[in-house]
Amino acid sequence: MAFGGLLALRGVDIAVEEHQVVGLLGPNGSGKTTLFNILSGLLRPTAGEVWFAGCRVTNLAPWRLSGLGIGRTFQIARPFAHSTVFDNVLVGITFRSRHHYRRVLDRRREAERLLAMVGLAPKASARANELSLGERKRLELAMALSTRPTVLLLDELASGLSPKGREEVIRFYGRLKERGLTIFAIEHSFRVLAHVADRLVVLDQGTIVAEGRPAQVLGSPRVMQAYLGEDE
Amino acid sequence: MSLNTLAQALVSGALLGCFYTLMALAFSMILGVTRALNLSHGDLIILGGYLGYWLWSGSGLHPLFLVPVAGAALLPLALLWHWLFHRLPEPRELSSLVLTFGLSLLLQNIMLALWRGEYRLIASESLTGSLALAGLRLNQGRLVVAAAALAVVGALYLGLTRTRWGRAIRATSLDREAAALLGINVDEATRTTFLLAFCLSGVAGVLFATLHYLYPAGGIELTLLAIVLTIWAGVGRLRSVLVAGILLGVVEALTVAWSGPRWRELVVSLMLLASLLARSGGLARGWSH
Repeated sequence: MAFGGLLALRGVDIAVEEHQVVGLLGPNGSGKTTLFNILSGLLRPTAGEVWFAGCRVTNLAPWRLSGLGIGRTFQIARPFAHSTVFDNVLVGITFRSRHHYRRVLDRRREAERLLAMVGLAPKASARANELSLGERKRLELAMALSTRPTVLLLDELASGLSPKGREEVIRFYGRLKERGLTIFAIEHSFRVLAHVADRLVVLDQGTIVAEGRPAQVLGSPRVMQAYLGEDE
Repeated sequence: MSLNTLAQALVSGALLGCFYTLMALAFSMILGVTRALNLSHGDLIILGGYLGYWLWSGSGLHPLFLVPVAGAALLPLALLWHWLFHRLPEPRELSSLVLTFGLSLLLQNIMLALWRGEYRLIASESLTGSLALAGLRLNQGRLVVAAAALAVVGALYLGLTRTRWGRAIRATSLDREAAALLGINVDEATRTTFLLAFCLSGVAGVLFATLHYLYPAGGIELTLLAIVLTIWAGVGRLRSVLVAGILLGVVEALTVAWSGPRWRELVVSLMLLASLLARSGGLARGWSH
């Protein structure tokens, strides 16, 4: 993937197995979000291919990828700020999951269920711009789940949160895994990654520099010193 | 200024303001969904007005019957404009100014060639005359135009808030990428927005032609008014646009009543400047009704 003369990703070959949690980490500017933008259809790669469930999905529009079952959150949560928490979750249910919930009542129940799952049921009628950072991230997770994904691309769900918030994120990962979801997650927290990831991929300057089981990758002095710095 | 003149100006301005709301919504909707400033907006309204005038002078039908016809007549142009806007390079805000300035000139010259520079008015007898109400004399034409404008704005409000396509347009306007990730076909939502906005322009054009004389360059002033109202109200904020439209109508009417029509445009220009100074966020606001 290139932006003019800048090569943002080069020779990146990653396979995410079904029902696995794969963590993606690397310093700022290493190409993590660019990779997520390609996988979610927001960017068209200048070279290479994306495959999903045996089908080539390179260059498909984001709403088509959402229709196939790829959900995504952003590093900086982007809910519809002036709409209520409930309405935010209802958008994905209305547009992506309407075939599963034909009646309005069923859609509303699904929205309530998702909000309860992320612990935002008491804030259902609050406007999204009134939420704290952690609550916004949880709302965005509920929005991503509202599209009934089979694969979730989570962009720094734990970043900026307190230690208590991170514990909560670890529990969320556990619940998502129990639901059989495949998760590809950008995270910087070693603690979160060590708890939730089955496998880790480390990017630097657009290339993969390490890959393997968390204990193996996180313990690597090269990864620690050159790319990740101190943990927490 | 007597109390009666003041009341007359307030009511008359509020009626005109309902039309201003209708006129500004199309501009605001396109800006919200595409981040593009459509400088040909006023020219499209004038074109709708000319089409209405042409049909009215040929058929003699009541102008209100011609409103949907003019709205539908601009739909092919909506698809053409959408096609052109879709190809705009970044930064879209700037590119759209260049493109739509050219389209504005093109439309003006087409209208000049088709209808020459003469002033035209849909002078329907059914819209002349006035009604007396609580000591005020209300222009019948303005009453009909205000009622028609409010009916269209109300229908649009219901469409945007209660229907699937309306929600898609609002979500796309708020955050195009986030909307797309939630399964909304944002290209389709954009195309629908153009079709709706151009239909509104055609409708506004016929109503405008019953109130004001048409001339090929008359769209510039309408574009300016749409920009002022959008800055005041925020992009696509339908209820705020209604309030801003009525406020603008009232200020205009008071200016005319107090100092005559020659100050009207100057006051609107000063209001535009004041809006820009007061709101550094300017046009960058989203849908919330």
